[in-house]
Formats: sequence, structure tokens, C-alpha cells
Amino acid sequence: MRSDLVDMKVEQRGEVVVARVTGELDLASAPRAGEEIEAAVPPSARGLVVDFSELDFIDSSGIAMLFTLARRLGGRRQELRVVTSPGEPVSRVLDLVEFGRAAPLHADLDSAVAEIA
Amino acid sequence: MSPLGDLFDRSVKARALAYLYASGAIVGLLSLILPHAEGVKEGPLVGLATAALAIGAVIYWRARGVTEWHLHALVVTGTLMLTLANYWFGPTALYAMMFSWAALYAFYFFDLRHALAHLALIGVSYALLLVLADHPSPATRWLLAIGTPAIAGLLISRLLTRLRAEAIKGEQRAGELRQTEARTRLVLDSAPDAFVTLDRDGIITTWNAAAERMFGWSTPEAIGRPFRSLIIAPEFRDLHDERRRELIEAKGTVTGRLFEIEAQRRDGTRFPAEATVSKVVESGDVYLPGFIRDISERRRREDEREALLREQAARAEAERVAEMVSGMQLLVDAALAHRTLGDIVADLVTRVRGVLRADTALIYLRQEDGSMKVVARAGPERDGADDPMGTADDFANRVAESREPLLLEGEDSVIGVPLMAEGDVTGVLLVRASEPRRFGSEDLGLLRLTADRVALGIDQARVYEREHRIAETLQRSLLPERLPQLPGLGVAARYLPAAAEAEVGGDWYDVIPIPGGEVGLVMGDVAGKGLAAASMVGQLRSALRAYAMEGHPPQRVLEQLNRLVWTEMGESEMATLLFLVLDPADGAVRWVNAGHLPPLLVVGDRLAHFMEGGRSVPLGVMPFPTFEEVTSQLDPGGTVVLYTDGLVERPGDHIDNGLARLAGAVRDAPADPEQLCDHMLRTLVPEGAAPDDVALLALQNVPMADRFSAEFPTEPHALASMRSLLRRWLRHAHGTDQEIAEITTACGEAATNAIEHAGSSSGIPFEVVGQLEGREIDIIVRDYGAWRAPRSGDQGRGLSLIEALMDEVEVSPTPEGTSIRMRRTLNGEAP
Repeated sequence: MRSDLVDMKVEQRGEVVVARVTGELDLASAPRAGEEIEAAVPPSARGLVVDFSELDFIDSSGIAMLFTLARRLGGRRQELRVVTSPGEPVSRVLDLVEFGRAAPLHADLDSAVAEIA
Repeated sequence: MSPLGDLFDRSVKARALAYLYASGAIVGLLSLILPHAEGVKEGPLVGLATAALAIGAVIYWRARGVTEWHLHALVVTGTLMLTLANYWFGPTALYAMMFSWAALYAFYFFDLRHALAHLALIGVSYALLLVLADHPSPATRWLLAIGTPAIAGLLISRLLTRLRAEAIKGEQRAGELRQTEARTRLVLDSAPDAFVTLDRDGIITTWNAAAERMFGWSTPEAIGRPFRSLIIAPEFRDLHDERRRELIEAKGTVTGRLFEIEAQRRDGTRFPAEATVSKVVESGDVYLPGFIRDISERRRREDEREALLREQAARAEAERVAEMVSGMQLLVDAALAHRTLGDIVADLVTRVRGVLRADTALIYLRQEDGSMKVVARAGPERDGADDPMGTADDFANRVAESREPLLLEGEDSVIGVPLMAEGDVTGVLLVRASEPRRFGSEDLGLLRLTADRVALGIDQARVYEREHRIAETLQRSLLPERLPQLPGLGVAARYLPAAAEAEVGGDWYDVIPIPGGEVGLVMGDVAGKGLAAASMVGQLRSALRAYAMEGHPPQRVLEQLNRLVWTEMGESEMATLLFLVLDPADGAVRWVNAGHLPPLLVVGDRLAHFMEGGRSVPLGVMPFPTFEEVTSQLDPGGTVVLYTDGLVERPGDHIDNGLARLAGAVRDAPADPEQLCDHMLRTLVPEGAAPDDVALLALQNVPMADRFSAEFPTEPHALASMRSLLRRWLRHAHGTDQEIAEITTACGEAATNAIEHAGSSSGIPFEVVGQLEGREIDIIVRDYGAWRAPRSGDQGRGLSLIEALMDEVEVSPTPEGTSIRMRRTLNGEAP
């Protein structure tokens, strides 16, 4: 996906879908990014890993998108994991809003994928 | 010598002598019949008397053939016959009486010498008679014989002399009179003009030689005939009668009245004549003497002179008209040299008015709704109320309807000629002049010529202007009407249409805020002019904006555009383009140059250099060219200048000189982009317009200060720009990366709030103001939308984020909008 602010790459790792998001997630980019990520997850998938380790910026709109995603996937009994780089602004913001209560946060992609699979 | 005798011709003298013979015979016969003395020989006396009668009769009848000598001989014969008769009759008183008759005759009709000779003969005869008759006293006899005839003769002679003197005097007078008459006649005859005198009835009484020559009638032929029928041409005879009557009825004398008459000669030919007629009244009679002069020559000369004058006038007029025509053509050409229709018509009316010496000149042009409207006027407007021709508008409409030039002579002289283009009346040229100026047919012709020429010119100008207007409108619409507000950046642009070029050029530029905070700068030049070029600019601009907004890198954008030009525009089309993208956050610049002139980079200390790299072929030249993307750095305070060749190229000059001039101009220029653009145009295009279109775009990376203020549209895309500006400012404040990220996140939440407050309706931007006081950061985000209480969830999360990330937060909702004030103290030392 190519958007104004964010770039997204989706890959399938077995039964897990990995969406790697780079750039900045804000009011302008988050809603569409959320729809596209959701559409990339087939019902057959066991879960989704959103990789924010290379994401530069996230605001409440991006967080809202994540919460929505978590709710939708939970309704379909699919797992959601979020990968962030600790100490980076995105990680700090997710901590501040206590996103960990909605979906587990991981420091690296592989552990996140392994936990679902 | 006997002047008296000369008075009578010989026939008179002969007849007088015949009377004497007859009377002598009768006296003799009477003396025989009457009682007389005895002894008178009656027989011889009767015979003598009969002879005398016979001689008298012969003399009478042959009077014409009598000579002077015959007369002398007859007088002598008579004297002898008297002597004989007295002898036979006897001495009586008869002697003296009858001899006295002879003496009287001699003295009367002969000169003195001959008279004395005859008297001597008479005396001798008388004396002889007295002797023969034996008169008693010889002394008395002699005395009687000599004395009686002598005294009688002398007395008579004396009387006659006196008579003769008087007669001579009379004759002299008559001679003089004759002489005068002859002289007068001579004068009259020698006069060059005919002299004619008419009497009361118009009968010719005098006719001189000149009249003979002039009319062909001799004097005897003319005298006594009516002048009217002899000389006056038939159709003028009544006029002649009238003039003559008028003259005759005039009181007293009239001198030298001048008439022109149409005269005819004897041969019937006619000629104009001038008569100087007087009226003379003499002893109750009226005469009309007059000189008549043939004026046909004068007429001819006058006619010739008039013709010559006419010809000269005509030639002068022709020259004047020719001059006017050429002048008019010159002025029309001069007027048509103007660029705009308005200038053309304004100049035309002024010039036409001058050449035609008109008071007012107007040009009407047909408007799109079909009405005729005044588009230019020279001279005073005239109130149509008192105008017999109606208002100028009415007249113009009449001309337009009739499609023909109209010349109107009313109180004013007015000409209207239609302006025709391709068979349609496109307008009316109207001139008006008041007394004494009157327009003539040549003015009409002249104006018609002018109108033909003007109509073409105006038509062309109209077509051109329509096209130009469309192209210009199109191009103007293609150029950004207003450059976008770029927080932290200063941007200015200029566009100058070419000086002489009628058509709109293909220069264009654009400034595109790219979502994510970057700014795209475009400078392009489409080959060609006019509508085609303008429409291509339009397509390029739309396409470029679309690709750039999507976030494609410059290289990719140009590939797309090249495909567009190559496929859409055809092989003949070509366009140069420079696309430069600046990330205001870090000053990174990347660009692709498709055949365009290199942008100029001006660094803070006014050093300029051209950004030479990344040059490729222009768009539309190859199907798949390679575009090279080059990067550079635009640090705060630096300026990048984009331009088209119109700014630097001059005919006959090398482009390098132009580029050098450009670099030189930039070096002295002020830093502010607006001022910089003005300075460069002043320096490089001092005339105000270049031979080609000029486009110029300058963008400055404005150095950050402790305080900043920026406005952003209430759109989600604005968030990235705001973050970008904020990061620059926070770097300026020497914040750490974490501080920058957190403050930016907090401000982003406030801005998101502002955007959501505005909803979709508000176009009022929101405002961000930052202030750095030592290490204290103070940021206010102010919107003008309706405050909405944070709903649970997403929005509420934003506010709590702000509170978590900033030291202090103050939300002030008002009816006009909401402002969120955030404070935080930075770590570290102040710069």
C-alpha cells in the first residue's frame, strides 16, 4: 500500500498475517490504514501482527485504529499482537494509553508471530 | 470768280435765262397789244418776240446740256435782241427795264468780270439806241444809257454780294457741320464696338462700320429696320422689348445702362454681346444710342479661366484627398498597431476626428447581445434631444441596418459608415461636424476606405483578443491564484507576459504542499503559444499535482508526465519541467530536471550557485527517458530560485551571460522572497516586459526564531505540515529527540481536536503559536470551530495524551472556538 504518509507491507507467515507499517499514522492516514489491514486478514488466519517498529509517529487516531482492529479481530477470535521498538515515541504513546490491555505488545516480530502460531 | 454763281448749277441758270427770254417776249407782245405810239413796226416785233419765246423754250428744254459759254452767248443774243426790239418799238421806259434785267442776270449768275463785260455791251447797245432814236439831250442820253443799268446792276450786285456773303457763311457752317458729321461718322466708324441708335419704336437710325462688321448688315440695309428682328435672337426678343420699354418710360435721360444680349449675325450665327445703352431726349424725340460689344472672346477667356480655376481646384482637391487617404491609411495602420482593441479604437477616433476636422468621432461595435454600443469617442457628446437626426445611437443603428454609408445634412453634418467583416456589420464608424464644416462625398469615400481597413483590423483584434483572453484566463487559472501558506517557508512568484508577443506563452509554475509536510515546487515551459500550449499546461499541472499528492518521488512523477506528453500530446509536443521537493523538516531537497534551466540556490550569505545536477531530456522527446533524481540541502535562511528562460535569455546574447546576470542579481537581492522577486525583475527585466514570457518562483527556508506563528487548514493533511514545522522549531530550541516527539504528539492531538471541531463546514484555519522563553515551551493551538466535549474513547484519549505529555494544559472553550495552551520545560541548556 502506498499512501500519503504511511507505507504498509503485508506478508503471510503460515497462518499469521504480518502488516509492517512505516511512516506516520495520524488522522489523515490511520482510518484508511486500518481498513486495509483488516481487509488483509483472511478469516482463515489465526491472527495478525502489526509491526510498528519502523513507524515514526502515531497519535490518538492511530491508537483508535488499533483498538478498533483489536475489537474486530477479537470478535472473530483472531489474535492481535503489536510490535514496537521500546523507547521510541510510538512505544511510549502506546504505553501511555495502556494499549497493552487490549493486545499484547512485543519488542520483536518473531516472538510475536511465534506466540500466535 | 463768283461764289454766288457757284451756288447754282447751269441748268438753274439756263432755266432762269429761259424765263427772261419768255418774259421779254411777253412784255414785247403786251406792248404791241396795249395802246402805243404810231409808227411802231409791229410785224418785225412780233417776229422778234416769237423768236425770243422759241429760244426761251429751247433753253428750258435743253437746260441740262447748257454750258457756261452757251449762257454768255445767250445773254449777248438777248441784249442784241432787246436793242433791236427797242429800236423798232421806239424809245420807251422799256429800254431801261429790259436792259436792267439782262444786267441783273449777268451780275446774278456770272462772275463780276463777265457781268461787267455784259454791262458794257448793254451800255453800248443802249447808247447806240439812244443815238439812233435821236434823243433830245446827248448828255441825258449817255447818262441814261450808261447810268441806268450800271446803277441798277451795282445796287443789285451789292445786294447780291451781301446775300452771297451770308450764303458763303451758311455754306461754311454747313461745311463745318458736314465735317463734324463726317468726323463723328469717322469716329463712330473707327470705333471697335458697334454703335447703333434706335428710335422710340426700336428702329435703327445709326449704324457704324463696326456694326456692319459685327452683324454683317451694311448701313443702308440696317437703317430703318427694327433692331429687334434684325439682331436679337428670337427667344430674347420679348426681353429686348421689355428693356426698351423700360428705358423709354424712364424719366429724363439715362446714361450707360449695361445689358447682356444674345445677338445673331446675318448668317444666323449667334454670339453673346454686351450693350451699353443710353436714352437721349431731343426735341421731344427719344433716341436710344448704344455701343454693342462682342463678348464671346471675353466669355471664352472667362470660361477658360474658370475651367482652369476649376481644374486647379479639382487637382488641389484630388491632391488633398489623396493626402487625406494616405494620411488616413497611415493613421489607421498606426492605430491598428496597438495591442488591444480598446487602444485601437481609442486611437482611431482621435485620429479620424483630426483628419476629417470633425467635432466628434465615434466607434460603435456590435456586442454579443447584438446591440450597438459606443466603445470609443473623441470630441464632445451631443445631446440628441434637439437633434433632427435623432440620437447618435439611432443613426448608428440605421447605418448598421442599411449596411451602407449614410451622409446626413441636418443642423449638423453626419456620416456613418458600417464596419463590415466577412459580410457582417460588426460596428459603425460615425463622425459629426457642425457649421460651417460640411462633409462632402469625398469625406464619405474617405471614411468608407477607412472603415474597410478598420473593420478588418478590429475584427482581427477582436478574434485575437478573444483567443488571448481565453488563453490568458486559462493560463491564469493554471497558475496558482494564491500561493499556499507554507509554515516556516517563504514563497513568492511572478509572471510577466511577453512584451510584444500577442499570444500567451507556455510558462507555468506551481507550489504543491505534499501531504506529509513536504513542499513541491514546479517550474515548466511548454513549447508553443496560445491555446494549445495553455491547455497542455493545464493537463501537466493536473497530472503533476495528482502524482505529487500521492507521494510519488519526483523521478516517478516525471516518468508519468513524460508518458502523458508522449502519448497524449503527440510527437511534436515538448515541455521542459523542473520538479523540486523540499522537506521543510530537515531542509532536504531532491529534484528532477527535464531539460529545464537549473534552479539557483542561494545560501544564507548570498552566495548563489546553480543546481546543475539531475538534468535529463525534456518531456515528450523520448518514450522512456531516464530521469535522475538529485538531492541537496536547503538550510534555514537559504533560498531556491526557479525560473523560465524568458528571465535570462536575450536575443543575440549567450545564455551563459543571462545566467551570470541572474546570479549577480541574486547576490544583491534581499532575503525576503517577495522582495527578492521584485529585485530580480527590476534588475533583469528593467523594461517591465521581456521578449518572452517570464516566470519566477522563489522559496526561502525561513530561519526559525524563538517565536513562531502559523495557520493551517482544518484538514487532516495539515497535521503532517504542522508536525514538520514544530519539529524544526523544537530543534531550533535544542530539544531532545524524545522531547520533540512528545511535544509534537501533544500538539498533534490539539490540532486533531481543532480539525474535528471545525467539522466539514468551516474554512477558517486553525492557528498554532509557539513561544520559547529560556527553556520554557509555550504552545497555543486555537481553532474557530464548535467545541465538542470529548466523547469517551478516541477523542478523550487525545486530551489525556496531551496531559500526559505536557507539563501544563489549559483548554479554553469559547463560543468563537477553542484554544488549547500547552507548556513544557525542556531539559538541557539554552543554545
